[in-house]
Amino acid sequence: MSQILTGPLAVAGVSTILALVIAILDKFLNNYGDMEVSINSGKKKLTVKGGSPLLGTLAAEGIFVPSACGGRGSCGACKCKVLTDVGPHLPTELPYMIPKEIEQNIRLACQIKVRQNLEIELPEELFSIKKFKAKVESLKDLTYDIKELYLALEDQGIEFQAGQYLQLVVPPYGDITESTQRAYSMSSRPSDKKHVELLIRLVPGGIATTWVHKHLKQGDTVEVVGPFGEFQIHDTPATMICVAGGSGMAPFKSMLHHMHETGAFPEKEIWYFFGARTQKDIFYLDELSKLSSTWPRFHFVPALSEQPTPEEGWQGEVGLITDVLDRYLQGKIDKSKGFEGYLCGSPGMINACINVMKKNAMAEDKIYFDKFA
Amino acid sequence: MKIKPSDKEAFSRMGPGILTAQGFLGIDIRSPEEIIAEDEAAFVRLGLDFDQAADELTRLAEEGAKGLGEPIRIGKLLVQSGDARGMLPCPWNDGLFHKTAVSLRPADLPPEACVEGEDMLIYSELSIHLLKVHHFCQGLGSPFRLEPELIAEFLKK
Repeated sequence: MSQILTGPLAVAGVSTILALVIAILDKFLNNYGDMEVSINSGKKKLTVKGGSPLLGTLAAEGIFVPSACGGRGSCGACKCKVLTDVGPHLPTELPYMIPKEIEQNIRLACQIKVRQNLEIELPEELFSIKKFKAKVESLKDLTYDIKELYLALEDQGIEFQAGQYLQLVVPPYGDITESTQRAYSMSSRPSDKKHVELLIRLVPGGIATTWVHKHLKQGDTVEVVGPFGEFQIHDTPATMICVAGGSGMAPFKSMLHHMHETGAFPEKEIWYFFGARTQKDIFYLDELSKLSSTWPRFHFVPALSEQPTPEEGWQGEVGLITDVLDRYLQGKIDKSKGFEGYLCGSPGMINACINVMKKNAMAEDKIYFDKFA
Repeated sequence: MKIKPSDKEAFSRMGPGILTAQGFLGIDIRSPEEIIAEDEAAFVRLGLDFDQAADELTRLAEEGAKGLGEPIRIGKLLVQSGDARGMLPCPWNDGLFHKTAVSLRPADLPPEACVEGEDMLIYSELSIHLLKVHHFCQGLGSPFRLEPELIAEFLKK
């Protein structure tokens, strides 16, 4: 018996000693001590513990640089300008950089470590981004693959512009051992500062969407970071041509309710094209149809890409959303005030809509979009 | 399968939290070389060719992209092509691939009734590269595993 135990005990003992040696060496060799991170020519100075990636170091100080992958180096979102020489760009950074960014020493905050005092530049608006704790007040099925997640913020309220997005913090679950973050547009109205609503479509194999669809429950506590983004209504009299599909509904729901509730941008006509495959994939239909019948400057155009049967009694348009958009731009919408395009969806959908809009003489610099990628 | 040093390095990057949060091996207890060898044997048994299968899955992904993010019918299949922000490196370090997610389901089943890996195939640009170049279908339980039997079934449709 004692012989059977001796081997495993010896292995465990040696492993423990090695782990202790590594921990002690790590403490001394990788101890960079306190470092200073100076932001925007010293407007903000942070004293931080050195050695960790800049992204996490800033987050620990309450400065949240956008990141869609949670610091894994696979989204390229956490770009910031580093004025201090921290060595050449890493192979993990280069795929996300255009030559001009490399020249300007734009870096991925998740890939460079704070091993010396750093001078960096960040957009001022990042300083107003906060982390919020929230409770899941409701989690409703809108379609078989889209859920409406309604969160009650604890402690503090949120100030945001309709069209902006949040990052949902996904904790480790199942086989996922690390926390990660994903970006979702807010569909709630900005006037409700104590709640945020997100529309989340299940992406097959997706970490965050699987967590929301299959693990998250009413009453759970979650964390969100934000607000981020520049996808907002432009203050001009031009007619808004909005196009979305699926969970791309989110920023438009927020914009529409904000404009309806506050009377903001009173000169703007709004046309909202929403595409889905079948009637089962359309949601908020009654709500938006009612809004369009009671709010004269709002026009809702839902469209099904798959021909419905006569029994379904579909009253709306049929065809790919780009074809429907093309038909309307060619003659069904008053052009006198000019057009602005607002798009939210997959890169393929956005590119296809931009082509249709340009073909119909819409200026490319008046087409604004929130790409899922 | 003859293991090269580059294979060993690639295998060491396949666990969860290294290149992707979920990794490439799922709950499979086999080693990557065993997974590759057994899937190569399955391909031979099913009369499949890695190049042809990868090309056909690419064609379906491109056709699916015409749905602009919504599912569309292609033959007897319902295909949905989506994108997420960012890129993923191949464990063999021979390329970076857009984070796409294509799903194939039988069009005659309600989408909500389809189960991943049973009657639904999910793949990305990286999955196709792994299939074509490295004959690696990923481990059992990996959401992006390209199960040879399911590939054979879907490519017949």
